[in-house]
Amino acid sequence: MSELTFENVSVRYGTGRRALTAVEGVDLTVPAGSVVGLVGESGSGKSSLARAAVGLHPVSAGRILLDGRPLRRDGRVDGRRPLQMVFQDPYSSLDPRMTIGASIAEALPREVARGSAARRDEVARLLALVDLGAERAASYPGQLSGGQRQRVALARALAGRPEVVIADEITSALDVSIQGTVLNLVRDLQRRLRLSMLFISHDLAVVRYVADHVAVMYLGRIVEFGPAEQVLGEPRHPYTRELLAAAGRTAGAGLPAAVADAEPADPHHPPPGCRFHPRCPVGPLVHADRTVCREREPAPTGDRHRTACHFAPGGAM
Amino acid sequence: MTWRARWLGVLRTPVGASAAALLGAVLLLAVLAPVLWGARAEAMDTAQILRPASGAHWAGTDGLGRDIFARVLVATGTSVRLALAATALAVAAGLVLGTAPLLLGVRLGRLVTAVVHIAVAFPGILLALSFAVVFGAGARGAVLAIGFAGAPSFARLTQTLTAAVANRDFVAAARIAGVGRVRVLLRHVLPNVGEPLVVNATIGAGGALLAFAGLSFLGLGVQPPGYDWGRLLGEGLNGIYLNPAAALIPGAAVVVAGLAFNMFGEAVAKGLGVPTGGTFRSLGRRAEPAPAAVAPAPSDVLLNVEELRVSFPGKDGPVTPVRGVSLTVRRGETVGIVGESGSGKSLTALAIAQLIEQPGRVGARRLDFLGADLLTAGPRTLRRLLGTSLAMVFQDPATSFNPTRRIGTQLAEVAREHLGAGRRAAHERAVDRLQAVHIPAARRRARQFPHEFSGGMRQRAMIGMGLMGSPQLIIADEPTTALDVTVQQRVLRLLAELRAAEGVAILLISHDIGVIEQVCDRVLVMYAGRIVEDLPAAELRSAARHPYTRALLAAVPDLATDRDRPLPVIPGRPADPAAPPPGCAFAPRCPLADDHCLTEDPALVSDDAGRRVACWHADRYSPPSAFALHTNTHGAYLCAEQSEAVVTAGPEHEA
Amino acid sequence: MTSATAPSGPLAALAGNAWLRFAARRLGRLLVSVWVLLTFAFLMIHLIPGDPVRAALGVSAPAELVEARREALGLNDPLWQQYADYLRGLLHGDLGTSMLTGLPVSQTIGERLPATVELAGLAFAGAALVSVPLGLLMAVLTRGGRRRPVELAFTSGSVVLAVVPEFLLAVGLVYVFSVELGWAPVAMRQGADSYVLPVLALAVGPAAILARILRVETLGVLQAEYVRTARAKRLPDPKVYLRHVLPNALTATITLGGLLLSTMVAGTVLVENVFAWPGLGGTIVGSILAKDYPVVQGVVLVYGLGVLLVNLLVDVALALLDPRSTIRES
Repeated sequence: MSELTFENVSVRYGTGRRALTAVEGVDLTVPAGSVVGLVGESGSGKSSLARAAVGLHPVSAGRILLDGRPLRRDGRVDGRRPLQMVFQDPYSSLDPRMTIGASIAEALPREVARGSAARRDEVARLLALVDLGAERAASYPGQLSGGQRQRVALARALAGRPEVVIADEITSALDVSIQGTVLNLVRDLQRRLRLSMLFISHDLAVVRYVADHVAVMYLGRIVEFGPAEQVLGEPRHPYTRELLAAAGRTAGAGLPAAVADAEPADPHHPPPGCRFHPRCPVGPLVHADRTVCREREPAPTGDRHRTACHFAPGGAM
Repeated sequence: MTWRARWLGVLRTPVGASAAALLGAVLLLAVLAPVLWGARAEAMDTAQILRPASGAHWAGTDGLGRDIFARVLVATGTSVRLALAATALAVAAGLVLGTAPLLLGVRLGRLVTAVVHIAVAFPGILLALSFAVVFGAGARGAVLAIGFAGAPSFARLTQTLTAAVANRDFVAAARIAGVGRVRVLLRHVLPNVGEPLVVNATIGAGGALLAFAGLSFLGLGVQPPGYDWGRLLGEGLNGIYLNPAAALIPGAAVVVAGLAFNMFGEAVAKGLGVPTGGTFRSLGRRAEPAPAAVAPAPSDVLLNVEELRVSFPGKDGPVTPVRGVSLTVRRGETVGIVGESGSGKSLTALAIAQLIEQPGRVGARRLDFLGADLLTAGPRTLRRLLGTSLAMVFQDPATSFNPTRRIGTQLAEVAREHLGAGRRAAHERAVDRLQAVHIPAARRRARQFPHEFSGGMRQRAMIGMGLMGSPQLIIADEPTTALDVTVQQRVLRLLAELRAAEGVAILLISHDIGVIEQVCDRVLVMYAGRIVEDLPAAELRSAARHPYTRALLAAVPDLATDRDRPLPVIPGRPADPAAPPPGCAFAPRCPLADDHCLTEDPALVSDDAGRRVACWHADRYSPPSAFALHTNTHGAYLCAEQSEAVVTAGPEHEA
Repeated sequence: MTSATAPSGPLAALAGNAWLRFAARRLGRLLVSVWVLLTFAFLMIHLIPGDPVRAALGVSAPAELVEARREALGLNDPLWQQYADYLRGLLHGDLGTSMLTGLPVSQTIGERLPATVELAGLAFAGAALVSVPLGLLMAVLTRGGRRRPVELAFTSGSVVLAVVPEFLLAVGLVYVFSVELGWAPVAMRQGADSYVLPVLALAVGPAAILARILRVETLGVLQAEYVRTARAKRLPDPKVYLRHVLPNALTATITLGGLLLSTMVAGTVLVENVFAWPGLGGTIVGSILAKDYPVVQGVVLVYGLGVLLVNLLVDVALALLDPRSTIRES
């Protein structure tokens, strides 16, 4: 059980004119033993943040800390790998040429289980943890359904004895009737093992179901963060409100045409000032005098419930 | 495991078997011929110099009176051996160069890739000639030359294959688990690219054989007194008027051996690739529920479908993913079809639009659109009717536009084809329609290519394309699935707006019951190729009678889901369209199922209000008035009965 | 990532920019490739073990002659200076002098080049003219598993034709049409009918390969969703095929077609030797055997430049056909 902290983290891809800053100056804390839900649309940088955390992509600025100790470039702390990840696509995240057992065993740290018998027992224990029988260890991924593969992926993540698990859209490739099973399992495991977890999803309803805290990301920035019931109950950032309205299927009612017809921004060319201003219903599109949104990027305000908006209710201005 | 079966499967195909036999014969000859006929090939007979083909010398004799046919047989050894040596060199060098980017890291890897990229553009024979200069004419030089000349293309192949595998999540997972680069390469990457590499090495060996023959033919390969097929061919060509066989027989040997390697490689590649499936057999008639009497279609019915079936040939007989779907869409009505993957909802949409391609088969008792029978209408009528009155919107706007043509042109095409509009008028209409779907700066945008549009904009342009005619019905197949939530809402709003403004009917297909509920008047729930329930969208949460509909509603968390209870789930997995269960397809996952359900498929029956349901236990939930308090009753029921099942035994059900 | 927001400048400027950037990038790559080629051709001679002049003149040649020839060729200078001289010479069109004939290499190449270009050009034009309609037709006829026998006949026929190397085909053609039937001359380049067999020998294999590839690509494109869109628009089949299928199938085929054209340029080496065609192919083989390295160097250079030119044309054609390629390429 550990606390994961992102300190002013930026992630950049490519160089020159094709460069893309997927994550910029993100501060985020996953408190020990709790689940932080990270929501945002495609291109918001949420997956880039996750990949940076586990060392799949280097951070270009800032630090990632685990209980105050910085993570190395390859995601190690003190020679261990305390962060593990579960991926979106269960059909791509398991090696089709390896048995389930071998895939899980590969992730076992050497000191956890020495000798093949010990490793086999450990694999069986992990499979049991995700409600799969030990005999599944001999199966190949091709013989499993999507939901079962996602369980195996969870077991493999747990094999590394992680302090923090990062779940990147783990239910979005599954059919609705399977999604619930995986969500229930995730919640159950998190509570039983008291894991810290960064749960990434584009689906607010799913995030709401599993997360204690919610962070909302837009074009590489965290625009709102706080306890789940506050962020989802009293959203302060207009983007969070838009997402909630979309999830509640009431979106667009009464939006001004200029806002409704605004196009999503291009991550390669983020707008100046507040990144949300070209489609913001409380910004300069609607209130011509709010030029500050075009000029200055809002700093997050608030304590437990932080919002980065010049005109957030309860905000600084 | 299965790979062995797949390789054996390759050998069982006629092409695979004959290629393997041919290759085996060539390799056998390569080993045995020098032993059996070595002496005969060297025996000089000064009395028999430069003789044409005869009974004693099948291919005649050469300038020293040696039997050419024996020499051709013996040359198999040299030719095959040198070709294999050159291939081995090419593969080894190619593997080193090809996996280098993975092992060396980004920067050095990119350099290696660039070098390989340039080298690949140079034809092998040209490289081989250059290397032949450096290494000198001779067998050793030729092996080195052909080997190194073949390396770039093999390196390129290795690079492409390994890069594809290296991008997959299981490699990322292995790296997170702390597996080192070399181990990732050996354990995860190479096993997954092994088959294509072996296949290409085999084909490459054929190429090396031919290239070697070419070099020797030019005099740059095997030097006298050694000889291989190419050398014999070169010698034979000089006397082609006197003794054609001396040139033709070594030539034939080269071709046969080259073909053997090539065909075997191709057969393996095809066999290990996507199986093409069996041939189409006529559909067996299955027992079907007794049809309701065919009522004459009322006049406001736009689309009337009865007993629609779609089938495809499968390995073990035809598979029928759509098994008797009946539905109607009235003018201006929005009807939603909801179901999971494999439920047949998209195929239903494509079948209605007459877009199922061979080898798929569509059958129906009735398929009427705007009063015309689509099953019997001629192609011209069909084209005119559907071209102007039916619009389609597909799931992925990124791939649904032709990438090489401008958006405006693709829209204008409809007006030019069906409305007889001129180039200019059609373009104007396209711009107008783009404006109608809220594309900003439509005139400029019309001249852009699809890749210059964002996803949501493309989807709106796709809708705009449907509006080029005067559509009575828009069939939208998962139109928002590929889009972000906020963009989804804009597309859905646009559809609703069109319906209000132009009175267009919409058939909306989606896996997302929330989307359907938001937009539609009526909901059709599909499961395993059938409609299991048909009811007004407003009554979805209060009056759904089919256990699947209710389970689907309960299984999707929304913003009011109780966070402290486990989510209700549907145990088991969706029915396999290739093998639907004999009774009710949902029975294996249904909490209400009894023996009756498992053996007999319930018919879709209508009640007085026109709601339809196919369930033996539908009366367990009726009448709607009993459900005064919204979802709680059935929600609690499902939770009580199913969450227990899941917590204890759920996963086993899924197996 | 697509450019979702409206570009700030006028469209024309953006398009111009994209094309300019494409041209600059492509030119840069061409220059690097040319430099690599030049250096390779230069080093080729210096990588030969032993003394190339001694090798060319034979063991019996007097030492003074070898030394004088080395001096004349500049082989006694330091390597970098030879490299500089070589590059300077190239700038002036000086490819060196033949060790055997003493003629300038550029003169020999100038005499021989047209014959080779004719051969390759005619063969490629023929192959493209036959294979594109054939591949498209075969794809349309055999789509979705239709007409299995046609498919089998086409695929097996094209495999065989693709495997037979050009020089073997050349020998076969000579036997049938010259020896047996006497319809065409056996060799040399005299009159229109002397072109038939060499061009045929060179064109058949690539045509078979190209037709196969085009069929496969077309079948792939037929599965594409935008083709379904075109059908949903109820366009007549010919329009679907010509407007929506063919351009996309061609973009995928052009890259491979370019490789084939390069191979064809190289294939002339073998075919020319069968038919005693007075082109570069005969020259290079003769020079390699005679160890006349300046000539080999010059011819390799010309062939290499030909290949680079083909690649350039392919990229330009791709950029014209597929609007994404100018942007996508990095």
